[in-house]
Amino acid sequence: MAVEPGKIVDVTAAMITAPVTATDWLVIAPVVIPILFGALLLMFRHEMRWHGIVALIGLGAMVGTEVALLLHVLANGPLSMTMGSWLPPFGISFTADALGATFALTSGIVAFICAIFAIRDINVSGRRYGFYPFLMLLMAGVSGAFLTGDIFNLYVWFEVFVISSFGLLILGSEKAQIDGATKYAILNLVATTLFLIATGYLYGTFGTLNMADIARKAEGLRGTAPLMTLASLYLLAFGMKAAAFPVNFWLPASYHTPRIVTAALFGGLLTKIGVYALLRTLVMLFPVERSVLADLIGWVAILTMVLGVMGALAQSDTRRIFGFLVISGVGVMLAGLALGTQTGLSGAILYAVHSMLVMTALYLLTGMMKELGGSFSLRELAGLYRSTPLLTAIALVLALAVAGLPPGSGLWPKVLLVKASLEANQWALAGAVLLSGFLTTIALGRVFILAFWRDREASAPKAQATNTASPILGYGVLLALMVPIVVLGVYPEPFIKIADIAASGLLHNAGYISAVFPVGGG
Amino acid sequence: MAKDTSLILMIFLPFIGSAMAAFFPSNARNAEAWLAGAVTVCGLVLASMCYPAIVAEGPVRAQIEWLPTLGLNFTLRMDGFAWLFAMLVSGIGFLVVLYARYYMSPEDPIPRFYAFFLAFMGAMLGIVLSGNLILLVVFWELTSIFSFLLIGYWYHNANARDGARMALTVTGIGGLCLLAGVLLIGHIVGSYDLDVVLASGDLIRSSDLYLPALILFLLGALTKSAQFPFHFWLPNAMAAPTPVSAYLHSATMVKAGVFLMARFWPVLAGTYEWFWIVGFAGMASLLLGAYFAIFQRDIKGLLAYSTISHLGLITLLLSLGSPLGLIAAIFHMTNHATFKASLFMAAGIIDHETGTRDMQRLGGLFRFMPFTATLAMVASAAMAGVPLLNGFLSKEMFFAEAIETHADSILDRVAPYVAVLASAFAVTYSIRFIHGVFFGKLPDDLPREPHEPPFLMRFPIQLLVLTCLVVGIVPGLTIGPFLHTAVTSVLGLATPEYSLAIWHGVTLPLLMSFLALLGGALLYLLLKNYLAHCEEGPPYFRQLKGQRIFERVMVAVSWRGARFLENRLGTRRLQPQLRLLVAVALIAAAWPLYHMSFGLAAFSWNLDDAVFSGLWAIGIFCAVGAAYQAKFHRLVALIFLGGAGLVTCTTFVWFSAPDLAVTQLLVEIVTTVLILLGLRWLPKRSEEFQTDAIRMAARLRRYRDLAIAVAAGGGMTLVAYAVMTRAAPPTIADYFLEKAYTEGGGRNVVNVILVDFRGFDTFGEITVLGIVALTVFSLFRRFRPAPDSVESPEQQRVQNATDEARPDRTAGETVSDYLLIPAVIMQWLFPVIIVLAAYLFFRGHDLPGGGFAAGVAMAAAFILQYLAAGTRWVEDRLRVLPLNWIGFGLLLAALVGMGSWLFGYPFLTSHSQYVELPLIGSIPVASAILFDLGVFSLVLGATVLMLIAFAHQSVRRLRASRIAAAEEETA
Repeated sequence: MAVEPGKIVDVTAAMITAPVTATDWLVIAPVVIPILFGALLLMFRHEMRWHGIVALIGLGAMVGTEVALLLHVLANGPLSMTMGSWLPPFGISFTADALGATFALTSGIVAFICAIFAIRDINVSGRRYGFYPFLMLLMAGVSGAFLTGDIFNLYVWFEVFVISSFGLLILGSEKAQIDGATKYAILNLVATTLFLIATGYLYGTFGTLNMADIARKAEGLRGTAPLMTLASLYLLAFGMKAAAFPVNFWLPASYHTPRIVTAALFGGLLTKIGVYALLRTLVMLFPVERSVLADLIGWVAILTMVLGVMGALAQSDTRRIFGFLVISGVGVMLAGLALGTQTGLSGAILYAVHSMLVMTALYLLTGMMKELGGSFSLRELAGLYRSTPLLTAIALVLALAVAGLPPGSGLWPKVLLVKASLEANQWALAGAVLLSGFLTTIALGRVFILAFWRDREASAPKAQATNTASPILGYGVLLALMVPIVVLGVYPEPFIKIADIAASGLLHNAGYISAVFPVGGG
Repeated sequence: MAKDTSLILMIFLPFIGSAMAAFFPSNARNAEAWLAGAVTVCGLVLASMCYPAIVAEGPVRAQIEWLPTLGLNFTLRMDGFAWLFAMLVSGIGFLVVLYARYYMSPEDPIPRFYAFFLAFMGAMLGIVLSGNLILLVVFWELTSIFSFLLIGYWYHNANARDGARMALTVTGIGGLCLLAGVLLIGHIVGSYDLDVVLASGDLIRSSDLYLPALILFLLGALTKSAQFPFHFWLPNAMAAPTPVSAYLHSATMVKAGVFLMARFWPVLAGTYEWFWIVGFAGMASLLLGAYFAIFQRDIKGLLAYSTISHLGLITLLLSLGSPLGLIAAIFHMTNHATFKASLFMAAGIIDHETGTRDMQRLGGLFRFMPFTATLAMVASAAMAGVPLLNGFLSKEMFFAEAIETHADSILDRVAPYVAVLASAFAVTYSIRFIHGVFFGKLPDDLPREPHEPPFLMRFPIQLLVLTCLVVGIVPGLTIGPFLHTAVTSVLGLATPEYSLAIWHGVTLPLLMSFLALLGGALLYLLLKNYLAHCEEGPPYFRQLKGQRIFERVMVAVSWRGARFLENRLGTRRLQPQLRLLVAVALIAAAWPLYHMSFGLAAFSWNLDDAVFSGLWAIGIFCAVGAAYQAKFHRLVALIFLGGAGLVTCTTFVWFSAPDLAVTQLLVEIVTTVLILLGLRWLPKRSEEFQTDAIRMAARLRRYRDLAIAVAAGGGMTLVAYAVMTRAAPPTIADYFLEKAYTEGGGRNVVNVILVDFRGFDTFGEITVLGIVALTVFSLFRRFRPAPDSVESPEQQRVQNATDEARPDRTAGETVSDYLLIPAVIMQWLFPVIIVLAAYLFFRGHDLPGGGFAAGVAMAAAFILQYLAAGTRWVEDRLRVLPLNWIGFGLLLAALVGMGSWLFGYPFLTSHSQYVELPLIGSIPVASAILFDLGVFSLVLGATVLMLIAFAHQSVRRLRASRIAAAEEETA
C-alpha cells in the first residue's frame, strides 16, 4: 500500500496485511460472477441467441463456487472476507456461514434450473427486454443478501434483487403485469425503506454496521428499548419481504402475472430471503428480543400458515393457488423462528431449502400444465392424467412434497418443527403446522383431481393445448428439479445435518464472530 | 439368507416391483400378473423363512442407518404378531393378484394398477414391520396415498374421484394426528424405537401428556380403520376396482388401525380414557355398521358397512383392556380378512358376470354360477358367525368377553346386548346377501348373461373359504400355534390361558350365538319385502349421511370459509394494503415503547439553530406540499419536491459536506428534468373527479389516513430523536474521518467512503442504478400513453395552426425556432460540461466530485442536447449507446474489484499513488479511480438510458410514419 511520501501511517492498525487465500474468494464469487455475466449480457444484448448459453455458463460457475463455498464452510466453519483489505468493522465484510452458504447454493441451483427452462419459455421479445441480464443481476442480489455480513450491505443487495425482480415482473408489459408490479413495487419499496430506517436507528445505537460487531456489542445493551424497537422494525420489514400475515398482500397480487419462469424464481427465492434476514437479525443479533417477541411471531406464523392455505383453497387459478401456498410455507418457517430452539430453527432452515426447490417446481409445473392443458384455471384444465402420465407423476410427487407427505421432502422439516413445538409446549404451533399440511393436501388434491383426473369431456373444449415446441426440455428441467426434492424426502440425513449446523451457527454465534474478528476480536 | 436381509427384502421388493410394473407396456396383463405374483410369493416365502427364528429367539430385527440426526433409523422388527400380519398381507396379496388378472379389463391401464398395488403392499408391510415409530408413520401415510390412487383408479368416474378425495382427506388428517401422537410418545419416552416404547408403558400412562398423546394416536388409528364417527369414507371407497376393495378396504389397510391399537395395546390400553374412547367408537361402529349394512342395495356397500361393523367388534375387544379380549381381537382380524376378502371377490365376480351389483335387480344366480354361490354362502356364514366356521370362534370369544365386567360403566353393562343385537344384524345382512343374489326370482333385465367365471378367478375364493372351514373346524391344529406366537409377542409373560376349541359346553356365549342367529333370521323375514323395494340406506338415518356432512364441512371450510376469509382479510387493492402496512409499522415501533422506557432526553430549544430550523421548516413544508398536491397537481408537486431537495442540499452544506451537496444537487436537477419529461405522458385528470362534492365517507377516510400519516411520521421522529440523543457510541464514522486520507489516499471523505471503505456498497448501488434504468427502459418500450396524451401538446398545435394560416411559413417552423438562442447556447455547452465532468471526476478523490457526480454532470450534458436539438438531431450525430455504457461500467467495476486477487488482497482492495501528468500536474491515481471510471460510465449510461426512454417515446410515432414512407418509396 503506497501512500504519499512523507506521511507516517500505521498501516497495520487498519488494514489486513496478510494476503488472503484463494479460497476466501469463494465468499464473494457468487456475487461477482453473476454481475460480470450480467454486464456482459448487457453489452452484447443484440446477440440474443447466445444469451441463454452465456447465462447458463455464468450461473453454472456461480453454482460451482457455491458448492465449493458450502463444502468449505461445513469443513472449516464460517468464512469471511472484508472488502478493500480494511479490518472489520470498517470495511464491509462478507461472511458465509452454513446458513448463508446453504441458502445461496439452493437459490443458485433453482436459478440455474429456471435459466434452462427459460431457454424455451422466454421468447425473443423477453430476451430483448433483458430477461437474462435481469436474471443474473437478481441472482447477484440474492447471493449477496445471503452472504453479506454487513447490515447496510444487506440493504444494498435487497435493493438489487427487488429492483431486478421488478424488471422481471414487468417483462412484456401486459396490463395485469403492470397492475401487479405496481403493488409489488410500492409495497416492497415501503418495506425496504422501513429496513433502511431501522438500519439508520441501528447505526445510531451501535455505531457499527458489521453484523458480527453488532452481535458483540448487543450483549451490553440487552433488554433496552432501542433494541426492542429495532427487533420489531426488522420483524416487520423482513416479515413483509417474507410475506407474513398481515403484510403479505403484495404476493398474491403479483405472483400470478409474470412469465412462468419468473414466477417460479420468485416463488422459490424471494420470500426466503426475508426469512433468511429474519433468522439472521432476530436469532443471531437480537436473540433476547426475539424471545420477547416469540409469542407474537408464533401467532403471526399460525395465521400465515392457516390463512395462507385458506387463501389457496379459495382460488381457481393455479398460479394464485401456488402463490398462497408460498405464503403458507413462510408461516411454517416462521414457526421455527418463533420457537427459536435448535430443533425448531433447523426445521425452519430445512423447510426453507425444501420450499425453494418445491415452490419453483410447482410454478414450472403449472407452466407445463398451461402448455399441455391450455389454461391456468382449474375451471378449464382437465384430462391431463390421460394425456400426460409423466407430468401427472411429477405433479403427484410434488403435491406430496408440498403437503409434507412421504416420500416428499416436506415431511422432515415438519417432523422437526412439530417435535420442537411439542418440546416447547407450543401446542398451537404444532397444531397449525399439521393443520396447514392437511389443508394443503386438500388444496393440492383439488388441483390434482380437477386438472389431472377429471376428463376433458366434462369441461368445455375451450382450453386447447398451446404447445408448439416439444415439451422434452420442460420435462427434463422438472425431473432434474425433482431429484433433490425426492432425495430430500427419501434420504434427508445430509440436509438435516447441514440445517442443524446452520441453526447452531445462529444460536451460538461465536464461530461467526471469530470468522470476522480472528484472534479474540479486533 | 440372513434374517435381516429377508426383512429388508420384504419391504423393498414390492417397491422395486412397483417401479418395474410402471414401465411395462399397457397391454402386458400377463407379464404384470406374473411380476406381481412373484413379488407376493417372495414376500410369503421370506416371511415363512423367518418364522422358526421368531419362535425360537423372539423378534427378528434389521437396521439400516438412515437419519441418525433425527434419532430415526430404518429399523425393521418382526415378532409373531407382525409375522401373522405379514403373512396375511403377502398371502391375500397373492390371491388378489391372481384374481385381478381376470377381473381387470384389457382396456384398463394395467401397469398403473399393479404399480400402485405393489407399492401399497410394500407400504403395508412397512407398517407391519416398522421398528421405529416415525418410520411407521411414514409407511402409514404411504398407504393412504396409494389407497387414494387406487380408489381413483377409474378416474373418469366422478364417484371414484370423490371417494378417493374423501378417503385421502379423512385418513390424511388421521395420519397427521398419528404423527403428532407418535412425536408426543417419543417426547415422553425419549426414543422412537418401538422396543423402547413398548417397554415404557408405565412411563407413558403416568405422563401428563398421556391423554393428548392417546387422543392423537387414536384419531390416527380410528380414521384408518373407518371407525365411528370417521367411518363414512369406507363405503365411498367402494368405487375402487373390486380387487382393491378386497385387498385394501377389507383385508389389509383398514386393519392397520386395529393393528396399531393392538401393537400399542400393552403401552396405551388399560386406562379409563382408553376404555371409553376406544370402547365407544368400537361399539358405535359395531352396531351402526351392522344396522346400515342391512339396508344397502349395493353388494359392495353392504360388505363395506359389514367391514366397519367387524372392525368395530375388534376395536371393542381391544378397548376392554383384558388379555383375552386382545387374543380374540387378533384372532378376529385374521378371520375377518379371510372371509371378507373372499366375499368381496365373489361380489366382484357377480358384478363382472352380470354387470350390476344392485341386490334389488339381482336374484336367482345360483343356477348360473353354483360354485361361486356355494363359496359365497360359506363365506357369508362365517361372516354371520355360523358354527364350524372361523367367524363363529372369534365371535364366541367376543361374547365371552362382552359378558365379563371390565370397567364398571354403562358401556360395560350394555355390551352383551349390543353384541347380540349387532350379531343378529350380521346374520340378517348375510342372509340378505345370499338370498337376494343367489335365490328368488330370475332377473330379466341383466346387462349381461351370467355364467361361472374362469377357474383361476374363482380359485382365490376357494382357497380362502377352505381356510375359513379348516380354521373353523380344527382351529387348534391350524391357526393355533401361529396365533399363540402372535399373542405372546404382544402380551409377553402376561399371556393368559385360552382355548380355541369349538365346543366349550353349553355356555352363555353359545346361547347368545344362537339367539343372534335366530333373531337375525327372523329380522330378515320381517324386512324381506321392505328390502326388496326400499331406497338405498337405512330408514330414518338415511338423511344423516356422514358423507353429506363431510361434503358440507368441506365446502364450508375449503370454499366458503376460505372465500370469506379472503374477502375479509385480504385485499387486492393497494390503498388498504399500504394503510395496513403503515399501521402495523406504527404498532411495531410503539409496542416496545409501551413496554420499556426509551429514555428520552429532555427536549431543549437552541436558538443558534433558528436559521437551520427555519430552513427545515421550509423543507418540511415543501415535502408535505408535494405529497398533498401529488395526485392532481403534478407540476406543483414536482416544484415542491425540488424545494425539499434543495433544503437537503443546503443541509449537507450546513454540515460541511460539500461533496454530498454537489452530488445531491446534480441528482436533483437531473431527476427533476426527467420527471418533467415524463409528466407529458401522464393522463389528464378525469373530468368526473373534478367536482367539489366529496362524499362524507371519502372525507372521513382521508382524515383517518391523515391521522395515520401524522402518527407514523411523529413516531419516526420520536424514535430518531431518542436514538440521536443517546450517548453516541464510538462509530466507524470517526474512523473514516481519521483514515480517509492516510489510508484511502483521498481527502474527500465521502468519495473515499464511497469508492474505498464502503466501495462495495457503491458497487451494489451502481448495480441498482443500472437495473433501474434497464427497468425504465423496458417499461417504456411497450408503453402506450393514455389516449388524451397521444396528440401533440396544445402549444405545438396552436403554433402549427398559426404557421399554416400564414402563407410565408410552413407548419413546424415556429416550433423549431422556439428558444433558438438558448438552444444554440445549450448545444455549445456540450464540450464545456464534458470538461466540467472530467474535472469533477479527477478531483473526486480529494475534493468534492467523483465518478458519480461526474456521471450525473455528463448526463446533464446529454439532456441539454436532447432538449435543445431534439432526439433525431442528436442521434444522427452522436453514438448514444447507454446500455453498453452501463454494461462497461459494471464490468469495469467488477474487474477492478477482482484485480486485487492478483495481488492476494481481498475484493476491491485499492492501490493508490500520485502521478505527475504534463500540464495537469500531480493527480492521485488509486486503482479506485478505475473503479470510479466504472461508476462514471454506469451513472452516465443509466441516466441517458432513462432520458432516451422518454425521448424515443415522442419519436416513435414519427419513426413509424417514416418507415411507412420509406417502404412506399421502395415499392
